Amino acid sequence: MRDERLARALTALLPRRVVADAFEPAWEDLRVAYLIRRQPTKSSLGRAAQRAGYLGLTVLLFLDCWRLAIISWIRREHWRPVIRPHPGITEPKQTERLHMFLYLVRHAFRQLVREPAFTVAALLTLALGVGANAAVFAVVEAVLLRPLPYPSADDLVILNHRDKQTGITKEFIAIGDFLDLSARQKAFESIGAWGRGETAFMDRDDPYRAEVLGVGANTLDLLRARPVLGRSINADDTRENAPRVMMLGYETWKKRYGGDPTIIGRVIRMEATERQVVGVAPPGFTFPPTATTDIIIPYQFPTVAPAQRKSGWTFAMARLEPGRTLEDAAMDLAAMSRQFEKEFPQQNLASEYYPLGLRTALAGNTKPALVLLLAAVGVVLLIACANVANLLLARSLGRRREMSVRLALGAGGGRLVVQLLTESLVLAVVAGTAGVLMAYWGAHALVALLPRSSDVPGLNDVRINGPVLAFTLGIVVLTTLVFGLVAALTVRSEKAVGALNASRGSSIGTRARRVTSTLVVAEVALAIMLLVGAGLILRSFAALLAVDPGFRTANVMTMSVQLPTNRYRERGPREGFYAQALAEIKAIPGVQDVGMAAVTPLTGNNWTSPFERPEQPVAPGERPPEVGWQLASNGYFRALQIPLVAGRLFDDRDDANAPAVVIVSEAIQKRFFPNESAVGKRVRLQGDQTAEIVGVVGNIRRAGLRDEPRADMYFPFERNKPGQTTLFVRTASNPEKALPAVTAAIKRFEPNAYVSDEQTLAHVASESERVTRVVLWLLGVFAATSLALAAIGIYGVMSYAVRQRTREIGTRIALGATRGNIVWLVLRQGAVIAAIGTVVGLATGLGTTRFLSSIMYGVKGTDPLTLSAAVVLLVITIMLACYVPARRAASVDPATTLAEQ
Amino acid sequence: MPRELPPLSHLQFLALGVILSNDEPGRVIRDVVADYGVRRTGAAFYQLMARLERDGFIEGWYEPIVVGDQAVRERRYRITPAGSRAWKHTRSFYETVVAAAARGRLSNA
Repeated sequence: MRDERLARALTALLPRRVVADAFEPAWEDLRVAYLIRRQPTKSSLGRAAQRAGYLGLTVLLFLDCWRLAIISWIRREHWRPVIRPHPGITEPKQTERLHMFLYLVRHAFRQLVREPAFTVAALLTLALGVGANAAVFAVVEAVLLRPLPYPSADDLVILNHRDKQTGITKEFIAIGDFLDLSARQKAFESIGAWGRGETAFMDRDDPYRAEVLGVGANTLDLLRARPVLGRSINADDTRENAPRVMMLGYETWKKRYGGDPTIIGRVIRMEATERQVVGVAPPGFTFPPTATTDIIIPYQFPTVAPAQRKSGWTFAMARLEPGRTLEDAAMDLAAMSRQFEKEFPQQNLASEYYPLGLRTALAGNTKPALVLLLAAVGVVLLIACANVANLLLARSLGRRREMSVRLALGAGGGRLVVQLLTESLVLAVVAGTAGVLMAYWGAHALVALLPRSSDVPGLNDVRINGPVLAFTLGIVVLTTLVFGLVAALTVRSEKAVGALNASRGSSIGTRARRVTSTLVVAEVALAIMLLVGAGLILRSFAALLAVDPGFRTANVMTMSVQLPTNRYRERGPREGFYAQALAEIKAIPGVQDVGMAAVTPLTGNNWTSPFERPEQPVAPGERPPEVGWQLASNGYFRALQIPLVAGRLFDDRDDANAPAVVIVSEAIQKRFFPNESAVGKRVRLQGDQTAEIVGVVGNIRRAGLRDEPRADMYFPFERNKPGQTTLFVRTASNPEKALPAVTAAIKRFEPNAYVSDEQTLAHVASESERVTRVVLWLLGVFAATSLALAAIGIYGVMSYAVRQRTREIGTRIALGATRGNIVWLVLRQGAVIAAIGTVVGLATGLGTTRFLSSIMYGVKGTDPLTLSAAVVLLVITIMLACYVPARRAASVDPATTLAEQ
Repeated sequence: MPRELPPLSHLQFLALGVILSNDEPGRVIRDVVADYGVRRTGAAFYQLMARLERDGFIEGWYEPIVVGDQAVRERRYRITPAGSRAWKHTRSFYETVVAAAARGRLSNA
C-alpha cells in the first residue's frame, strides 16, 4: 500500500526511539480510524477526501514526532554537566567536555525558544544573508568552478582573433592562419579545428534531426575522447576528397541504433551526403559542454595554407603543453601574429591571435556579472552579521545580571564567551539550514533570470551539492565568528560584576554603545556602496534603453529557416520556394513587410569583409580595412525600417545574372566617400571583381546596443538565395499572432523546412542586455535589503540610546525643552552615524565602482546624480528609522521619569 | 501513611486506572484520558505510554486486528504488578491527602 510506503519513508527520517515509542503506535491508530471511517463511504470523491486527510494526518504525525524528539532532547537530564566546585583545578575529561558542549547547545536552544521576537528577527536576517549567498554561490559553482567534462580541462584554450584596426574580436580564425599556426606553434600540444552544424538522418522513413560536431584531425585527441567502438576521426579523414565518414554520438548510437555492435562500417544516408560510420564516441561526449552531439564528422582542409588565407574560417581550440601557461601561449601566438603581419601584410596586417581559457570563453560576460553578484551578496551578509551582532549584543546586555551571577559563582570569562559563541553557533546553524532551503529555490530563480546562452557551461545543472553545502557551512562558521565574537567579547569586557549592583536592570554600557554605533556605521557604509552600485547599473540600463539601434525592433518577428539540402541543392528550387513562400507570407493579414538576412542584429555577430575602392587601392604591405558583412534582401531594410539615405534598395534585378551590386551604410559613405556620393562608385570584391554601390542606408548597431554604429556593407540576398536564412516579418500589431500563419505558409511549400529560433526582434534586443538587467535586478534587491537592514540597525541603536537617556530627556523637558528640541536631539545623534557611514561608504564605494565597468554603459563611476540620489535615499531612510525613537523620546513624561528617580 | 510524593503523575495514574482490571488498546486509553479533558496528540500520548513501559509499570504489544477487509495492528497494554503497586500507592496518597484536607489538618497529615 502506498500509505505504508509513505510511513516507511517518514520513519527513516526520525530517530529510532521516537519511531518505536510514538510514531508507530500512533500511526496504527490513525490507520484504524481511517479504515473505520472509510467503510460507510461509497462515493469515490468522499473516499479520496478521506484518504487525503489520512495522509495529511500521517505527515502531521511525523512533524509532531520531531517536535517531541527535540523537546525531549532539550530536557534530557543525563546530559547536564557535572558541577565542579572548583572549576579550573583539574582538566575536565573529554566526555565531560562533550556533555558540557551539548548542555550549552541545549541551553542555547532554550534561550531561542524563550525569546521568540529576537529569534525570529535574527533568524530571518541571517537566513536571508546565508540563503542569498548560497544561491549565488550555487550558480557560481556550476558555471565557474565545476570541472568541465574533459580530462585536465584547465589546459584547454580557445583561439580568438582581434582586428587591431577596428578592435573587433572574433572566435573564428582564417583557414590559412589556422594551418600556419598549427604548423609553427610551440606552446600547445596541438591545435584542433571544430565547428557546429545541423543535418538529418535520412536512412529511414522517420528523418531525424542531428546536431553535428565537425572536428579536425586531432581535435578529439585534444579533448581526450576515446571511441567506445571503432576508431576516432584521424588525419586521413580530414584530407581533401577523403571518403566521407562519421562517428556516432554514444546516445544516438544507443537510441537510434539500439547500441548495435555491428554499426561500424555501415553507410548511413544523411541529408546532404552518405557517410560511413567509423566509430562511436564515449558516453556523454560533446563539445562545447552544453551542446548536443549526435554525430561527429571530419573537417576537410588543404594541407598547406592557401594563397587566399581568408578563403574559409574555423573555430579553433588547443591544449597547453605540460608546464606551459596561458601567458606563454599568448606570447607565442602574439609572436606568430607579428610574423604573419610581416609575411602576409595585405591579409594579416593588424591581425592578432590570442588564447582564452576554455571556461572563460564559454562563460563569456556572465563571469564578471556572477563575480560582482557574489561580492554584492557578500556585502549583504556582512550587513546581516552586523545587525545580528547588534541584536545579540543588546540581548546579552539584557542578560548582564545572569552573566554576573555566573561570574560570581566561578565561571571564567572564557566560559561566558564560549556560552555566547555557542548560542551564536546554534543560531547560525538553524539559519544556515533555512538558508540552504532558500538557496535551493533562489538558485533556480537566478538561473531563470540569466540569459539562455547555449554556451555557458553548468547553467542547466545548478544544484545544491557538496561544494555549495561546504560553502554554506563556511559562511555559517564565519558568521558565527563575526557576530558571535563581537557580542561575546563586548560583554566580557563589560564590568559585569558591577551589574549585580545595578538596580535599574540593563543599561547599555559605553563600550557596548560604541561597538553598536560602529557596527551601524559599517552597515550604513556598506549599504551606500550597494546603493551606488545599483544606481549606476540603473543609470546604465536606462542609457541602454535610450540607445537608438538605427532600426525599429517593435512588431518584428524573426525566425531561422533551413531548407533540406538534398532537394534545394540547385538554385532553381530555392528561387521557387522563396517566391511562393514570400508571396504567401505577405498575403497574411497584418503582415506589412518580409525580409531575409544572414545575420540577426544585436546577437553579437562580428562577420566582416575587406573594403577597398578599386581606384584607391591600399599601398603594398597594407591591408584593406574591415567593414561589417551582411547578406540582406530588399524587404530586410523595410521590415527593420532602416532608412534609405541615397540610391536604391536591392530588387529583383539584382539576381545571379545581373552585375554585382552592394549597399553601404552611412558610416562607409562618411569614411570612404567624404566629399562625394558613394552611389554609383565601385568596391573591390575578390581578386579583380568589383561591385557597384547602388544605395546608402542608415547606420545600425549590429553587434549589440553597446557597440558604436559601424561601417556595414550589404550584399544582395536576391543574388544567391541560400538554403538557410533568417526571416524578418513586420506586422501591424503583435507579431507573435502572425507566427502560426507564417510557419504554416513555409510548411505548405516545404513540409521538411526546419523553422527554429522564433522570437520577436524586441526580445532579441532585450536578451542582448539580459546580463545587465539581471545584475540591475539583483543589485537592486541587495541594495534594498541592505538599506532595510541598515535602517533596522540604526532603529535599534537609537531605541537603546533613547531608553538609556530617558531620565536626561525627562529632566530636559522639565527644564523647558520643547518636543521639537527633543526630536532634534535624537535625530542629530542618528544623523552623525549616518554622516560618518555615508562618508566612509562613498570613499570606499568610489574605489570599487571600477568592478562595475564591464557592465556600466554611458555613465561614470563618479556620476553625481547617482551619488547624490543614493545619499538622499539613505539619509531619508535613516531619518525615518530614527524618527520613531525620537518621537518616543519627545513623549517622555517628566513627572513620571523624575518621580522614578 | 508514607508522606513521600506518589510515584505517578495524575496523567499516568489515570492511564493505569483504565487498564487496572483489563488490558486495552492504546486508543481506548487515550479516549478515556481525553474524557478527563487531557488532550494529547497521538505521538505525545504514546510517548507517555512508552515511559510507563520503560519504568516497568505496563507491558505493551502489537495485536493484529481486521477492520473492514484490511488486516492492521493495534498497540495493547496491560498493567504489571509493579504498575498495580504504584497505582495503589498513588491512590492511597490522594486518599490520605483528601482525608486530611477534610479534617482541616493537611499540615499534619
